[in-house]
Parts: sequence; structure tokens; C-alpha cells
Amino acid sequence: MSSVVQYLLAGLGIGGIYALVALGFHIMWSSAKAVNFAHGDTLMLGAVLTIVFLDFGLPMSVAIALAIGVSVIFGVVLERVAIRPFAAQARSIGWMLTTIAIGIMLESYATISFGAFARPLPSPLAEKPVIILGAGVFPQELLIPLAAVAIVGLLYFFQRRTQLGRAMRAVAFNREAAGIVGINVTRIAMISFALASALGGLSGILVAPVIQASATMGLLLGIKGFAVAIIGGITSAPGVVIAGLLYGVIEKFVDGYISTAAREAVGFSIVILVLMIWPQGLFGRKEIVKV
Amino acid sequence: MMWLSRNLNWLFAVVAAVLILAMPDIAGNEYALRFYTLMLIYTILALGLNVLVGYTGLVSLGQAGLYAIGAYTAAILATRLGFGFVPCLILGMVFAGSFGILLAYPTVRVRGVYLAVVTIAFGIIVENIAIEWDSLTGSWVGISNVPKPTLLGLPLNHKMYFYIVGGCALAAFAVNVNIMNSRFGRAMLATSQSEIAAASLGINVTALRTLAFVLSAVTAGAAGVLYVFLNKYISPDIFSFSDSIRFLLMVILGGAGTTLGPVVGAGALSYLPELLQQFGEWQRFVYGALLAIVMFVLPRGIVGSAADILHRFFPAARRETDGDKRPLGEIVSIGPAGGEVCLEAKDLSLHFGGLAALNNVNAQLSSGEIHGLIGPNGAGKSTLLNAVSGIYRVNSGRVFFLGVDTTDMRSHQLARRGLARTFQNTELFQEMTVLDNVWAGFHSDYRTGLFGAILRLPSYRKEEEKHRRAALDLLNFVGLTDYAYEKAKSLPFGFQRKLEIARALAVRPKLLLLDEPAAGLTQSEIDDLRDLIIQLSDHGITIVVVEHHMELVMAISSQMTVLDYGEVIAKGTAAEVQEDPKVIEAYFGSPEMLAPPPEERLDDAEREP
Repeated sequence: MSSVVQYLLAGLGIGGIYALVALGFHIMWSSAKAVNFAHGDTLMLGAVLTIVFLDFGLPMSVAIALAIGVSVIFGVVLERVAIRPFAAQARSIGWMLTTIAIGIMLESYATISFGAFARPLPSPLAEKPVIILGAGVFPQELLIPLAAVAIVGLLYFFQRRTQLGRAMRAVAFNREAAGIVGINVTRIAMISFALASALGGLSGILVAPVIQASATMGLLLGIKGFAVAIIGGITSAPGVVIAGLLYGVIEKFVDGYISTAAREAVGFSIVILVLMIWPQGLFGRKEIVKV
Repeated sequence: MMWLSRNLNWLFAVVAAVLILAMPDIAGNEYALRFYTLMLIYTILALGLNVLVGYTGLVSLGQAGLYAIGAYTAAILATRLGFGFVPCLILGMVFAGSFGILLAYPTVRVRGVYLAVVTIAFGIIVENIAIEWDSLTGSWVGISNVPKPTLLGLPLNHKMYFYIVGGCALAAFAVNVNIMNSRFGRAMLATSQSEIAAASLGINVTALRTLAFVLSAVTAGAAGVLYVFLNKYISPDIFSFSDSIRFLLMVILGGAGTTLGPVVGAGALSYLPELLQQFGEWQRFVYGALLAIVMFVLPRGIVGSAADILHRFFPAARRETDGDKRPLGEIVSIGPAGGEVCLEAKDLSLHFGGLAALNNVNAQLSSGEIHGLIGPNGAGKSTLLNAVSGIYRVNSGRVFFLGVDTTDMRSHQLARRGLARTFQNTELFQEMTVLDNVWAGFHSDYRTGLFGAILRLPSYRKEEEKHRRAALDLLNFVGLTDYAYEKAKSLPFGFQRKLEIARALAVRPKLLLLDEPAAGLTQSEIDDLRDLIIQLSDHGITIVVVEHHMELVMAISSQMTVLDYGEVIAKGTAAEVQEDPKVIEAYFGSPEMLAPPPEERLDDAEREP
């Protein structure tokens, strides 16, 4: 019994990270029909920079704010130089490769300057586990899924109650029509990437106390976050969050009862199966081809 | 110059063959020879991946998985069961190829980035099964002690093995070139540019995508087997996601969709690590930076961008464009459809969510007539065309084409039965030449198959020539002869419309559906179009014209159907339809409707019997 609770709570913890990463992919996709394939490295940036700023002796709050700030700048610059020139062409895979290339550069630079080893990010919420029904989890792990749900709630509110949020939804629905009614589509894309990257940096900071920060921490988190966004239905914010939490929980159970390698094999098999049954993802909107 | 550009591929193959023969002596030592063997193995893999990515337009980020399947198959068979090199190679290709079929299955429904995720997932699954299935794969330790390769009982030394790999690479290159310049290459390119238009020409898109996946899987499997016998040792860490990315980059960097691109890309990315060693710990950073720079400076890859520049300075020489200038009837032997009724729609209904785009539509089309389909914007005209041509599935009702129930048929099946169409916003294969656009339309007319095309059998060459001439004749018929070797996207809009009609004629239509053929044309182009439609009708083709240009559609149609809000509101000759009060109301509104306040209108409606 206690192991079931253990896997469930730990699964929600890591699932919350997948959900936040997937939410970032959802925001980027909605605005540009393209994503940053190096989004995993945005997480790494947030986590690693927070540690670096703490090393400088800055207080935690300032370090976190600065790290998220740099993540935002990274996302905005990347959208401008690596995505916008390529996203205009239909069926282009240029943006996949340019963002992967920039991800490689960032990861390698982090390895050189930060070191190849992993370091924990100290957090008051990851010092002493709490015992719930016999299962020990860090409060940090409980915080992550709550943060994911709270953020998707805020996003929902923002997209429906503010002018900017409504403009973002308009762009997601139809870029051309949004442009015609006077919405600055490129500005919306910039803001969306800024928002997604802020979420990415924040996710990195949230997860680092649990899994440790390293230059290479982003790769698998990024891939899984993207896979989760796709199976959740990348057009639906609540969809990707639900898919993220579910994926995390399933993963922990397979990990616990079988093995770590089986975790990836089973997890990604589920990804393929879901897509074969629901080609637009679980909660995605079906697009009607117009000719 | 002309001869050179046309035979560049074969010239390259000869040079490459000579280089391969001389390489063991040039390389000097075993380490260098091993490096060149590996480079050739990557070339084989990249050539196969190019069929998928470059020609068919499907991105695979899991090619390392297929490479691993080939490699593990060979390693396990050779170490456990004592299989020799050749059986291992064959079984490795077969096994990887069957996974190609499995991987192609989702493409029936899954598209774009969704498909990219399927391939990523596949690669990661294979990698982790290799780690997990300890008893078979040796987990992290991998499989070592792979025996030396032998051929016909003779052990192969490094030099001989290099020649074998070189031979495989040359064969892969030849296959690549021959597929590219065949009906399969054209159909793949067509599919990548407009799936719907390709299907409307009778191309079975699913079969073609499966073929592309299988070809790329078989070559990846072969590359994996060749790697095992070179390295004598494998472990899961050489088949990771970043390897899949590196393989994709070989194709993109060299130039996806070009024949020489994968060769150049594989060479460059194999050589790059050697070159970057001087950067020490900055090696990967420089690797990333180089990739980014290449994507910005040469977005079509090294070979693709070089070809673009060459074309700018040496525009394509005027090649033979005349064909035989035969009249239409001799080109595609179209005749009147048998039977009285050509097409019949019975109680067709189609809903998009809550919106009824078609509501119990009944319409009949007699063979040989020109039928005008009109109605205000959003009346459901294009939806009706899409429903009868197999693009949309209807919610209820049946469609009969030439007496056969075709309701559940796919677009390409209908095309093969003689239903051709054009599209409202033109769906040309933009990056292909004008000639290739039409030539692709003959795809389902060929009798020779893949092996005939790869081996360039005489029967295949004969068919190729026959259909090329027919395509040229069709271009002559619509007056586009002079543009045969231009890219379709460079044509003025009016010519694009004509090209689309010429392409549709390649399927020998008995029924031709024209969706707003006059939209965007000038008056003189509309006059040409009218003559063209009448000429086609004179050849016995039944024609449906969806059109807003009333003058044109009234002048040519013998029968008309009027749609409004997804329902048929009038049928008859042009004159009858013009007088119909319901039609007048649908287009102009009723005079009473504008004047009185809404409540009164409701009363009016209620008072109607």
C-alpha cells in the first residue's frame, strides 16, 4: 500500500514537470505552429543559473528571478533568430534543426562552464520528507503538480479575461485572420515564447531540488515534455497538463515494479499507441482539411 | 554543359567507384581505412533516409532505432547461431524492413510533428529494449566477439571488406538515383507537396509512404549489419536519440531531396569530429554552431543550395519539349462514359460539428453534360465535390459513380475509375516542374513496378518515354509547352489553372470536377477557359463546374444545380434556374426581407403553407 502511494505521489511530482514543459510547448505551438526543440535546455538554464547565482552569494529569491529572466531572454532571442525565419515556410523542418543546433551549443557551453557533474539545488522543501500513508515524499514533489494545475488555471483565466490573452487565442485559431483584424502576430509570438520560456525556467528550478541540476538534465525532460504535449493534444492546455500528470504516474509505477529501462520503453510505447488511436492527441482539436 | 548536368549522377558514380578502388592505398593505414568504411556505412544510411525525408517529406527522428535493429540482428545471429556475413546482411535488412512497415502504419492517420514524435518514441523504445533485454542483447555491456566477416567461405580482410561496403554504397546510390527519376520518385515528391492532389491523381498515398519507410528501414538495417562486422562489437549507447538527429542532419546538411546530398552530408558529418578535435572541450559547441550557420546560410543543404546557385547562373538549357503534338483524343484515349447516369448523389448529409454543410442532397449527372453547380458562398458546393470525390466521408447517404456505389472509396480509387478534379485554390506540386506535375498524373497507368524502375528494365524505359511524351502532349494541348521545365510555382496564376486541368486529364477522366476554375482569371483567360471546357466536353468528358462567374457558367452548362445552406434549392437548365424565385432570393435576398422588422418576418414564415 505504501509503495502505491509512494509511486503515485512521486509520479505526480515528475508528471507536474512534464505538464509544465508540455504547457510551454502548447503556448509556443499556439502562437507559431513551431516549437523550440531546445526547450529542455531552458529548464537546464533555469536550474543551473539559479545555482550559479546562489554561488555568487545572491539571495534565493533574487537568484530565481534572475534565472527566469535569462530564460525569458533566451526564449525570445531564439524565437527571433531560429524560428521566425523558418516557420513562415509550410512544411519546414528548418526550425527543428536550428533550435536543436542552438540546444547543442547551450548544453555544451553549460558543460564547460558549470561542469559535467550534477549538483543539487538547495530548497527548504526538499530537506526532510513528509510521511503520507507510509510513503515518504519531499514537500517539493507535492508542490510541483499543484503549481502545474495552478498555472494552467491562471493561463485559462488570462486567455479568456485579458485582451492580450484573447489575442493569443485568436492567433492560435487563425494567424491570418488575427493579423487582418489588427493583432500584431509577431509580437504575440514573441510574448508567447517569453511566457513559455519563463515556465521552462521555473520548471527547471522546481525540479532541480528533486533530480539535481546538470548541463544534460534538459534532453530527456524536453523530449518527454514534447511527447506529452503531443499525446495530450498540443492545442489544448488542460489536455497537456492532464497527459503530463498521467504520464508521470505511469512512469513511476513501471519504474518501481519493473525497471528504469522498461520505464522508457513502456512510456514511449504508450505514446505511439495513443497517437495511433487519437491522431490529434487525447484532447486535441481535429483539423478539417479545406481544399 | 547540358550533357554534364544530365549525367552528373553517373559521372559521380564513376569517380566514386575509382576512388573506392584506390582508397585502401591512399588511406595507407588500417585506422584510416576503418574511418572511410564507416563513412560509407553512414552514406548508405543517409541515402535510405533521403527517400523518406527528402522525397516523401516525412521526418524520422528515430532512424538509429532501425540501424540498431539491423545491427543487433546480425550480432545475435553471428555470435549465437554462427550465421555468416551474407545471411546476416539479408536477415538484418528483412527484419529492419518489417519494422519499417510497422513504423509506416501510423502515417495513415498521424501527420507532421505528431509523426516526428512517433519516430522519436520508436528510437527510444528500441534503445531501451536493447538495455533491458539482458539475456539477448547483453544490456549495457553489449555484444562483443563478432566473428570476422567471410564471403563464400573466404575470410575478408580490411581491404576486401572496404570494397564490399563500397559496393553496397554504390548500389544504394544507384537505387536512390533510379527511384528519384522514376514514377515512384515523382509520386513521392507529389505526395510530400500536396497529399490531396496526389490522391486525386490515383496515387495511393498510404502505399507510397509505406514504401518509403520500408526502403529507409532496409537501408538502415543494412548499414547496421555492415557496422557490426566492421566494429565487431556493439552496445546500446551508439543508437541514441542524438544519433538519430545526426543521421537526419546528414540528409538535411547535404541537401534533402537531392541525389548527391546524402553522400556529401554523410561525408561531412563523419569527417567533422576529426576536424573539430582541435577545439578540445569546445568541440560540441562548434558542432552546434556550424549546424546553425549551415541552416541559415544554406537552408536547402550544401548540394541543394549549390544547385540553386548554379541554376541562377546557368539557367536550365531548353530541352526537348515538343512531344508529338497529338490532338487530345490520341493522347489519353478518353471516351464518353457508358450508361445514362454518370454520377448520382442520394440523400447526402455531412456535418462539421453542429453545422450541416450538406443536408439530404440529391443530385444526378447525365453522361456527357456540362453541369453547373452554383450557390452563394458557404452553400456547400466545394463540400459536395469533396464528398463525391472521396476526400470527405459523408455522415449519411450514398454516392454512385458510373453505376457503382463509391461512397466508401478513397480519393485515389475514384481517380483510377476515371474521376478527376481541380481545386479551388489550386493544389499544384509547387516545387516540381510543370512537366513533372502532369507526368506524376500517369503514375497509376504504369505496369512495371519498383524493381523494373530500379533496374531500368527496357519495358520500364519504354513506358517512361511513352508517358513523358503524353505529358508533353497534354502541355501542348493547354498551351504550356514553353514552360515544361519551369517550376510550377513560378507560373502566372492563369497558367497554374491550366496546368491543373492538364494534370487532371492525365488520369483519363470520364468525369472532371472543376472547382471555381475561373477564380482569379482575367477576362481573356476566362474566354480561353470556356473554349477549353467546351473542347473537353466535345471529347465526351462529363464535366461539373462550380463557379461564381455567372456569365461563364450560364453559357456553358446544359444543366444546373443550385445549393444554399447545404440544400438543393433548384435544378434545371440555365434559363429555368435564372427565373427561379428561390435562387433569386438566395443570391439577392427577398425585397420584403430587408424592409420589415424581424417579428413580422417570423409571422410571414409561419403563414407560409
